[in-house]
Amino acid sequence: MTGAGGPRIAAANAAAERSGLAVSELLADARAKADTLQVRAVDAAADDAALRRLALWATRYTPTASPWLRDFAGEKNGADGFFLDIEGSAHLFGGEDRLIADLLDRLDRFGLAARLAVAATPGTAWAVSRFHRSPLFVLPSGEEAAALAGMPIEALRLKPETRTALRRLGFKTIGALIDQPRAPFAARFAAELLSRLDQALGRVDEPLVPIVAPPVYHSLHYLLEPIVTAAAIVAHAGRLMQNLVHVLTRDDVGARALRLCLYRLDGAVETVEIGLSLPTRSVAHVARLIDLKLDAVAARQGSNLDLGFGFEAIGLAVTRAEPMPARQIELTPSHPSAASGAPRDARVAATPGWGQDDNTERCAALIDALRQRLGPHRVRRFEAVARHLPERAEALPPTEGETSAWPRPEQARPLFLLPQAEPTEVTALVPDGPPRRFCWRGATYDVAGAQGPERIAGEWWRLPPPSAHSRESGNPTLGPRLRGDERQDALTRDYYLVEDLGGRRFWLYREGLYGRETAAARWFVQGLFA
Amino acid sequence: MTEFAAFSVAPSRAAVVEELRRLLVPATAGGRAPLPFGLPSLDSHLPEGGLPCGGLHEIVPETESANAAAFGFIVALLGRISSPPPPGPRLRAPEWGREKVIFVMPGYGLRAHGRFYGRLSGHGLNALGLDPARVILVETAHRKETLWALAEALHSGAPAAVAGMIDRLDLKTSQKLQLAAGDCGLPLFLLRPAAPSPPSPACGGGWGGGSAAATRWRIGTAEAARDRFGMHARPRWHLHLERCRNGRPGEWVVEYDHVAHRFSLAAALADPALSRGAGERTFGQAGRS
Repeated sequence: MTGAGGPRIAAANAAAERSGLAVSELLADARAKADTLQVRAVDAAADDAALRRLALWATRYTPTASPWLRDFAGEKNGADGFFLDIEGSAHLFGGEDRLIADLLDRLDRFGLAARLAVAATPGTAWAVSRFHRSPLFVLPSGEEAAALAGMPIEALRLKPETRTALRRLGFKTIGALIDQPRAPFAARFAAELLSRLDQALGRVDEPLVPIVAPPVYHSLHYLLEPIVTAAAIVAHAGRLMQNLVHVLTRDDVGARALRLCLYRLDGAVETVEIGLSLPTRSVAHVARLIDLKLDAVAARQGSNLDLGFGFEAIGLAVTRAEPMPARQIELTPSHPSAASGAPRDARVAATPGWGQDDNTERCAALIDALRQRLGPHRVRRFEAVARHLPERAEALPPTEGETSAWPRPEQARPLFLLPQAEPTEVTALVPDGPPRRFCWRGATYDVAGAQGPERIAGEWWRLPPPSAHSRESGNPTLGPRLRGDERQDALTRDYYLVEDLGGRRFWLYREGLYGRETAAARWFVQGLFA
Repeated sequence: MTEFAAFSVAPSRAAVVEELRRLLVPATAGGRAPLPFGLPSLDSHLPEGGLPCGGLHEIVPETESANAAAFGFIVALLGRISSPPPPGPRLRAPEWGREKVIFVMPGYGLRAHGRFYGRLSGHGLNALGLDPARVILVETAHRKETLWALAEALHSGAPAAVAGMIDRLDLKTSQKLQLAAGDCGLPLFLLRPAAPSPPSPACGGGWGGGSAAATRWRIGTAEAARDRFGMHARPRWHLHLERCRNGRPGEWVVEYDHVAHRFSLAAALADPALSRGAGERTFGQAGRS
């Protein structure tokens, strides 16, 4: 890190500290103290990324992991750590002591020298982890004030200016602050000081911002042996879903979005997001979607998922749940699931009236599978848009929710629209008459019959208002100041359904009203009729 | 052995043919009735009285410029599927006929011979009588994905029919798709681009070589039917049934009414030889009886 007087030390390892180096010392001085010093430039972004990765890994202990990032804390050094909210999950590991012992052990194996503390508030935990003698400490609930009293004011997560000001005023420990009347502090300092103090003491709640949205339901398996094959992942995920199904059934909900977290042995976490178009509790369906996603990842990368040394834990979380009332199961034999690939029972489909809900579900399952394999934006539906210009009159949103009803067809519309209307050479008897012959894509077509015109006005209400100059000059043609697409939108179009001698049907339009909007109308081919 | 015995003692040729037909047509349709055209001359020409429901139907445009017409023919067929309400008790009937139709359109394959011939328009589907709200459009990036999506849609059994475009179709692929469609009892309509060159005997003799499809139609353009004001009323297509499993080829010019979802033979044909297939059939039947 650079500062006044040259580069300074941003962080140092234990060996460096033993040789008497300190953080924020000048690099030149440090080199003089230790001649074997190795120096690397600070890469704040990489640090943050590494911290995020570690916090993501730590979601194996609890879903609420919140990294204490630099920009979030507004603090230049010491902003390296994360909070875990282990309130509900400590018992799964045999208590808080066992949990943090396990955490320390694993971090140690990653080669990270960690300091851990458990306390009732994030603020106190932060202070204890940094300023307590032992690297591993569990502070019993209710002793926050006593523990903080002996600590220096740096333990309060304050801005450097506030810390300096407090030091100047003679406050060295938090204990000196706790018993002081609050009013002078509120007047003298920014709200930060009192709020940090209150947060540490538990007078004010401090919400943690979790690194990933906490799931609604969550199920996690720790594996004795790491797994390396996609088949094993799918099998385990199916078992996790089986666990979740009980809870989901109890609450009458189904999963709309799921997240599969794969905790790699070396601390990295792979996540697989799964979206569903209908709430589901089907284990087979979810397992199949996971399988498809792993396939898609494999196909995209050319190799399999980055397995490393295998996965040691698998978590499946329901990130969005929706009500899914219980339904009566129909008496007709259920069709074999899509996963088996077997032909479905023909009787179900052949019986009208039966199996319609079933069909909706099957359709949703199909859409899920397609979206999972091809990507969510590749499965679309048609939606009518209330606009007149043909190229804007419809949209192709991804299938989500119900489709709107389409208007009754009134005018002839081509089956295929060209992505961009293509200019064409047209011969017509009169300038504003129907085409007689046109040339398109290198071929000449003789028109046998033309139907039209159907006049579609430009969307003048969407254009910027004409400037005073053009209004005064009374210039009827639209000025060249408009950009190309706007200019095109502004002109009136006359559409003709044109049939050539071979029976091919085209949709042509003439841009601009002859004599009023333009002197030489241009022609375009916009679509092809069936 | 009993069947062979039946042949040998069968007195009339018609009975033998009927017996052969019974043996040849397996119950692949999965219990679903075939899709009739609603046009006696066409339906009686097809072995099952309509397009077999579980099967692959290849649609080939005559020339590149007939692509839209060929796809229009597919859309017309899809529009006819489950458009009438079912007979019998109306149990949860409002859902009927709202079965989805899957279109697998390769983003790459909309180009035929290097030219982009447009994207499917919802209003265009609507104008041809297929409710766009029923359509699920799947865009695929390459051939492998297209085939996967087609097979997936068929196996799910959810849609009423599956339609798609494919850049080329070889024998093996067509066999796989035909089997998949037959297993699921769903019709699969595949639009294949027009062959760029005339058929060569080296690649199987026909247009595009061998194929296991149940039927193959070659679609040409024809002058549209006009109403008495000279307006385009109904599109017309020149249908050429090139191959048909257990059936014979034929040729018709039909027009399609998108409101009634009805095919009809084009009236007042300029060339009477065009309904040859249908004509032969009637003559043949007349001669036998």
